[in-house]
Amino acid sequence: MTNSKPECDAYPDTAPTRAPVNEQHVRTVLRQIVDPEVGINIVDLGLVYCVAVETACVRVALTMTSPACPLGEMMIEEARDALLAACPEHTEVVVELVWKPAWQPSMMSREARQTLGWQD
Amino acid sequence: MSKLPPIARLPVLLTGLLSLVGGVLAGLGRMGWDVPTSALHAAGMHGALMVAAFFGTVISLERAVAVEYLWAYLAPLAAASGGALLLVGAPASLAQYLILCGAVVMTATSIYTLRRLLAPCTLVLVGAATCWAIGNLTWLLTDSASTATPWWFAFLVLTIAGERLELSRLVPTPRVAQALFLPIVIALPSGAALALCDERHGLILFSAALLSLSCWLLCFDIAAHNVRREGLPRFIAVCLLAGYVWLACAGLLGLGDAFLPGDAWRDSAIHALGVGFVFSMILGHAPIVLPAVARVHIPYHVSFYLPLLVLHAALSVRVFGGIRDHFALQRIGGLANAYALLLFFAVLSLAVLRGRTSAGRNSGGT
Repeated sequence: MTNSKPECDAYPDTAPTRAPVNEQHVRTVLRQIVDPEVGINIVDLGLVYCVAVETACVRVALTMTSPACPLGEMMIEEARDALLAACPEHTEVVVELVWKPAWQPSMMSREARQTLGWQD
Repeated sequence: MSKLPPIARLPVLLTGLLSLVGGVLAGLGRMGWDVPTSALHAAGMHGALMVAAFFGTVISLERAVAVEYLWAYLAPLAAASGGALLLVGAPASLAQYLILCGAVVMTATSIYTLRRLLAPCTLVLVGAATCWAIGNLTWLLTDSASTATPWWFAFLVLTIAGERLELSRLVPTPRVAQALFLPIVIALPSGAALALCDERHGLILFSAALLSLSCWLLCFDIAAHNVRREGLPRFIAVCLLAGYVWLACAGLLGLGDAFLPGDAWRDSAIHALGVGFVFSMILGHAPIVLPAVARVHIPYHVSFYLPLLVLHAALSVRVFGGIRDHFALQRIGGLANAYALLLFFAVLSLAVLRGRTSAGRNSGGT
């Protein structure tokens, strides 16, 4: 089964980055944030929809598997704190919670799906 | 959208906890233990304090934090205030109106989440909040907590069921299981509704739904998978699976008419459900939800298993005592259940201190 990722149109006009961070680096940092019940990080769970790295600014769009879960606010703060600690000084970090498109299991990484018992 | 800072949520949470303390003391008073006079006077309000006030406060507070609208916090504020009024001996009708208003607000909050995700899990959560509102309305109109009890339990069970259904999307849940879930959760409030005019058959339908749900959860919930992991995911899974067993127990007792008012096994059925199932969920999820609501860091520790063990052992004694008509055992089990909750708060408090010490050490080292 192929992973269907959402179209990343949250930040369409991204300027070329001159900051010494890139999207891969941001995703590596966000792997520190783990869903406490499942024990899998938010990148592998497919909750990180968009990452845009601009000059001195990093923008991230996240989602949650449930809109009724109170952990969203805390997850945003943790993501923001982790990125502020990992990015160069004076980098602006913007993390927001989005709900479209709705999260689906197909958005998880192959490793996460295997851990959770999916036969791909 | 406007957020309420975590520090501003604490008064509501603490007032809700007063209903827990008062409710537990009221329950102990009913069993003949020595409790403060005010708790003894509230003995008849044990169910209302525990479910309508305490659980109503914490669940609606979670929901308010999730949707991040200020008006959503009116629900836990109303529920906590209603519980406080019951504790100080105010006319019950005041508390009934307040808690009903809280439930109506929470129903609106739950409907709002449908805008974010229209799915069976969010629909079940709307149903749960509606059951709380109907239960409170029933209590207001009949002044009978006993009549409201099936609705109040439907509120708790459906809240947990909706959240579990949402998580079940993370694992490959068979289509037939997904199809079976909705009829089960519809049967639960249907039983509560039927009980209003045909109490016995309504409670039997209610109990059948509990038993069916327990089987579904034991077979398909993500807990069966996570129990093989380590640390906090395993602890949560153990809490859940133990709770599902008690849910089945409550369903089986209920099929034997144990939920009928005056039945000899009613105490066992009610507490298998309220303590064994619901409080087991609370113990499992407190290390996750409390940090989200109150911004306290609660690192997992193996000591979390101790209050869980005491809770289930005590409940086993209580339920056995109830089934065997051995009141002394029921009393001891009830008291030990109360101590399990105290132990739980002590363990969590130590974990919070441990988390702060660790954070201080880390920041001092950089």
